[in-house]
Amino acid sequence: MGTRRQRPIIIGAAIMVALLVALVLGVGMGTVGIAPSDTMAILAHRLLGLDFGAHWSPAAETIVMDLRLPRVLTTMLVGMALAVAGVTFQGLLRNPLADPYVLGTASGAALGAAIAVLIPVRSLVLGFGLVNGLAFVGALASVVVVYRLARLSGLAPLTGLLLTGYAVGSLLAAGLAMAMYLSGAGLRQIVGYLLGGFANASWEHLAGALPIVLITSVLILLRARTLDGLLLGEEAAAHLGIDVRRERRILLALASLVTAAAVAISGLIGFVGLVVPHVVRLLVGPSTRLVLPLSALGGAALLAYADLAARLAGDIPVGVVTALIGAPFFIIVLRRARAGYEL
Amino acid sequence: MPIPRSTPRAVFGALLAILFLVGACTASGASQAPIAASPVAVASATPAPTVAPTASPTPAPAFPVTLTDDEGTAVTIPAEPKKIVTLTPAATELLFKLGAGDRVVAKVEDVADFPPEAHDLPVVATFQGVDTEKIVGLGADLVIAGGNFGTPPDAVAKLRSLGIPVVVVYAPTVDGALKDIELIGSAVGTADAAKDLTASMRAGMDQVSAAVAGLPAPRVFYETGTDPSGTVYGIADASVYQELIKLAGGDPITTGSAQDWAQSTENLVAADPQIILLGDGAYGMTADAVAARPGWKSLTAVKDGAITPVDDIVVTRPGPRLVDGLLVLAKALHPDAVLPSLAPAAP
Repeated sequence: MGTRRQRPIIIGAAIMVALLVALVLGVGMGTVGIAPSDTMAILAHRLLGLDFGAHWSPAAETIVMDLRLPRVLTTMLVGMALAVAGVTFQGLLRNPLADPYVLGTASGAALGAAIAVLIPVRSLVLGFGLVNGLAFVGALASVVVVYRLARLSGLAPLTGLLLTGYAVGSLLAAGLAMAMYLSGAGLRQIVGYLLGGFANASWEHLAGALPIVLITSVLILLRARTLDGLLLGEEAAAHLGIDVRRERRILLALASLVTAAAVAISGLIGFVGLVVPHVVRLLVGPSTRLVLPLSALGGAALLAYADLAARLAGDIPVGVVTALIGAPFFIIVLRRARAGYEL
Repeated sequence: MPIPRSTPRAVFGALLAILFLVGACTASGASQAPIAASPVAVASATPAPTVAPTASPTPAPAFPVTLTDDEGTAVTIPAEPKKIVTLTPAATELLFKLGAGDRVVAKVEDVADFPPEAHDLPVVATFQGVDTEKIVGLGADLVIAGGNFGTPPDAVAKLRSLGIPVVVVYAPTVDGALKDIELIGSAVGTADAAKDLTASMRAGMDQVSAAVAGLPAPRVFYETGTDPSGTVYGIADASVYQELIKLAGGDPITTGSAQDWAQSTENLVAADPQIILLGDGAYGMTADAVAARPGWKSLTAVKDGAITPVDDIVVTRPGPRLVDGLLVLAKALHPDAVLPSLAPAAP
C-alpha cells in the first residue's frame, strides 16, 4: 500500500472519495424515488445557482434540500465528532475500551432527554427543542460531576475518572429508568432518543453543532503532541514538558463538549467512537497527528453509510447498523494486525 | 504549535462562551436557510367555498382559516386541502364519513383497517415512526396527527418546518372527541357535515343514556390487555373508558392511578366486579382463560360467568363510531334494556 509515509495520505484520500460517494447516494436515495438528473439539477440550482432548464416538483426540491441533504451532512458531522471524542478519550484515559460515553455522558444526556420529554413544552428555540437542549446540558453536567467527584477520591487520576464515571453513569441510569417509568405515552420518544437517529436532522441543528464540533476538533488537533505525550504515562509526559493536570482538564472539556454536541442532535449512537480510532491506528500507527484527522474522516464515512443503510432497510435504528458494519470489519482488521498492537 | 502555558483559564472560558454565541448566531441565520418549497404546491389550489351553488346566499369562504389544535398551536390552512394525510385511524374513518375520503392521499397503519375504502391508501406511518419524506413526496397540504405522543412530536415539528399545516388532535374525553370531529371538519372544509355528525352522535348518546337511566349500575372491570408476565391491564382513572362505561350505565373499576394501567389483583378482588368486559377479546383472550387466573374465581363476575369480549376499537376510537362503541358497552352491561340498534355501517 505504498511506503509508510504515503499510507496515511492514500487512506485519507480514499475516505474522502467514500464520503463524496456517500453524499451523492444519500441525497439521491430514499423512500420517494427522484430521478438522479432531477437531484443533480436541484443541487446545482440551489447550491451553485446554475439552471439547466430542467423542471422538478416543489416536493422533490423540499425532499432533496430540506430532508436528505441536511440529514447526510449531519451524519457526517456526528460521525466525525464521535470519532474525535473517541480518540481523545482513549488517549486521555489510556484505555482501549474508552469511548465518548465512558464518563457517564450517555446516561447524563439520556436523563436530560427523558426529563425534557416529561416536561410538556413544545416550543423550539432557533430550531432546537427542549430534548436537544437538556441532552446537551445533561451530557456536560455529568462529566463535570464525574470530574469533581474523581478528584475527591484518593485513587490515581485515571482509575478515579473511570470508576467514578461508571458509578455516576449507573446512578444517572437509575434516574433514567424512573423517568421512563413515569413517562407513560412519552416512553416511545425516550426510547427513540436512546436508540439514536437522524430522522429529525435539520439545517438548524447542523448550524448549531457545526461550529462547536469543528472548533473543538481543531483545538484537540492542536494538542496532538500533548495526547501523544499523555499516552506515554504521567511521568514521561511531565518530563516532556506537558502540564499533565491542566492538559488533561482541557482535553476532557473539549472531548466532552464535542460529544455533547453530537448526542444533542442525534441521540446515543454507539460503536463509532470506540472502533474507528482503533481501526485507524491499526492502519497508520499511533501518532495522534495522523490518527485524529483520519478518525474524523473515517467516523464521518462510517456513520454516513450506516444511516444510508438504515434508511434503505426501512428506517431501522442507526446504532444497530453501525454495530453490524463495524464489528466484523474490526475483527478482520484485528486479525491482520501484527502482534504487539497496543493502544 | 503549542498554546502558551501562561494562557489564563478565563480566556479559555471566554473561548467556550464565544463558541456558544457563534453557534447560536449561525443557527438563527440558518433558520432562514433553504426555504420549504411546499407552500408553492399549496398556493396552486384555489380557495373554494364549501357550499355547493344553491339559491341561498353564498356564505363567507371557509379558507384561509386559522384553527387552534388540541395542543394549543394556531394552525393556518391557506386553502381547502386537496391532499390530506391522516396519522390517526380515527381521523381516517372520520374523513371518509364526512365525504372527504377522496381527498385523503395517505394514512397511518390501522389494525382495524376501517373503512374498507381506505384499504388501498398508502401507509406513511406505523408504530415505528412517520415517513416524512413520503408525506412531502405526495405533496400533502394538510396532516392530521395524534397528540399525547401518538404521532412523534419531532415528526410534527419537522412537517410544520417544511410548511405543511399539521393539526394535532387528542381527545381523552367524549366531549373532546366530538370537538375534534368538528375541528377536523373545519380543517378540511366540511364544517357543516361535521356539525351534523356530532349532533346525531350526541342524540344517539342521549338515547343510550336515557335507556339505561334508573337501571342499577353493575360494577364493571374492563380489561384492556395483559402482558406475558401475567400483569393484567384495566383502565386508568379519568380515562375515556371510565366516562363511556358510566354513560353506558355501569360503575367502572379503575386502577387507582392516572398513569398506571396495571390492575392489581388484590384491588380487583376487593372491588369485586359483577361484569368483566374483555377489550382484548379480539387478541385471543377467552373467558375460560380469565376464569382460570389465580385468585379470580372469587369474583362475582367469574362465578356468574359474566365475562364478555367486546370490540375494543369501536369502544374507544374517538371517531364517528363512538356511539356504536357506547351501544356495545350498554348492550354488554344491560342486555335486557331497550336500546337503539347499531347504526348502519359506514358509507
